[in-house]
Amino acid sequence: MPDPDVEDLLRPLAPQVLGAVIRRYGHFDLAEDATQEALLAAATQWPVAGIPDNPRGWLITVAGRRLTDLLRSDHARQRREATVARWARPDQMLAPAADRPPESDDTLILLFRCCHPALSPASQIALTLRAVGGLTTAEIARAFLVPEATMTRRISRAKQRIKESGLPFRLPPPAERAERLGAVLHVLYLIFTEGYASTSGPNLQRTELAAEAIRLTRTVHALLPDDGEITGLLALLLLTDARRPARTGPAGELIPMAEQDRGRWNADYIAEGLALVSEVLPRGPTGPYQLQAAIAALHDEAPSTEATDWPQIVALYELLLDLTENPMVALNHAVAVAMAGGPQAGLDLVGKLQHDERLAHDHRLHAVRAHLLELAGDHRAARESYLAAAELTMSRPQQRYLYGRAIRLADLPATETTEATEDS
Amino acid sequence: MKYMIMLYGSQQDYDVLSGRPTAKPAMSGVEIAAMHEYMESFHKRLADSGELVDAQGLSAPVHARRIRLDNRVPVVTDGPYPETQEVLAGYTIVECASIDRAIEIAAGLVNPDADGEYVDVRPIIDGIADLEL
Repeated sequence: MPDPDVEDLLRPLAPQVLGAVIRRYGHFDLAEDATQEALLAAATQWPVAGIPDNPRGWLITVAGRRLTDLLRSDHARQRREATVARWARPDQMLAPAADRPPESDDTLILLFRCCHPALSPASQIALTLRAVGGLTTAEIARAFLVPEATMTRRISRAKQRIKESGLPFRLPPPAERAERLGAVLHVLYLIFTEGYASTSGPNLQRTELAAEAIRLTRTVHALLPDDGEITGLLALLLLTDARRPARTGPAGELIPMAEQDRGRWNADYIAEGLALVSEVLPRGPTGPYQLQAAIAALHDEAPSTEATDWPQIVALYELLLDLTENPMVALNHAVAVAMAGGPQAGLDLVGKLQHDERLAHDHRLHAVRAHLLELAGDHRAARESYLAAAELTMSRPQQRYLYGRAIRLADLPATETTEATEDS
Repeated sequence: MKYMIMLYGSQQDYDVLSGRPTAKPAMSGVEIAAMHEYMESFHKRLADSGELVDAQGLSAPVHARRIRLDNRVPVVTDGPYPETQEVLAGYTIVECASIDRAIEIAAGLVNPDADGEYVDVRPIIDGIADLEL
């Protein structure tokens, strides 16, 4: 059994230890393996032998020794590889070490490295969870419901690509930093959504991924407290995760926001999220994560669907639409318009979206149309849309929910209305 | 973190520097002055960036003495290296942010005009803690 106290101690140390080993010896790929083995050794030894006086030093030493072993077997197995040190351009060779950063930045450097643009999003996520989150390959594979061998291959390919890129262990140059930070935030967001609304498989939520995304985002926020979008992302994750306890029923079934017991929402997360939103919004400029956090805040503050400030939500979605070309934002905007101005206004917007190739085969478009048709009283058309949505989703709880709505409508008279939600 | 950058040379390379006739052509005074000037300004910049710990050159390999014990009695051999064996000729110790930076610095110590020349970089052990556990 893993010891929770030791686990809590080890996870934040993981990127610090890896950073220290890479700084001293290089070899990103093997250093990562060596650090994992040191963490594993600690997880098995410390609960029995006790926690050493200097846990970080212990881990660095053990990882360093393990790296020596790995290098020796690596050298014995294959011929020495000559890596072209791309960064050693003679004209900048002796630039003063202005970038000598405090060691706390190692976590950031690792995040930038794991979210390198040469990697696919799936590889970025897997590598981030391992190298920065300190999760084992088996844990990551379980979280993403793929065989461990598949995840092992994905991670080793990602590490190989990073090795080939030959980048030195340092923060990206200032000119690239904003863009690269965007990639980091996107990966954290994807880890969260994968945990919060699983795209496949029998369980609707894999809470450990959502919790890990929040933990990592907190870390980044602590390192760069003045960045508005990091603050916005942390607020968004907290305000969304706050609803998790009410989002599923006893049998794991999906409960839409309109029908959730708001008393079960996580009041601490809501308070923390609201404080972050009100701290960051006046600062400007307002980015997409801040806007989504502001929308989530309006939902979380409202005592009920009816009492929600829908016109304000419509206005925020319109600002968001100016910033992003995301069809899901357009879809959520349509829902908000329907809630503020009646279902027909929403249906008109959904009608324009169904020709968007990115949405045409997404269950969410059909689910939203079904809700709005139901709200408008067109039960026959609503039922068809629920069935179409159920066919398209990969998530079994969502399927059960959508089939359930469709079956219920078959028994209803044509005038009764129920409420639409944006949360399905 | 400290790293030692090691530079190598054979007795023959030292002879080239001293102008002594060998199989290789001797360096001119102008070339040697340029090399000294380069090394001096290189290390000056390292000192300015706060990364220089120490840098030393070693005298010609012919001056080396090898000491062994024979029945616990020291026995000294003069000039133990063959003419063409590459041996340590000098070192630069730097303290810098990472091995990547040490490699960057080391690249500046390789003569771009000498085909096949190389230097080695090795992390220096921080203390006894590095060896324990």
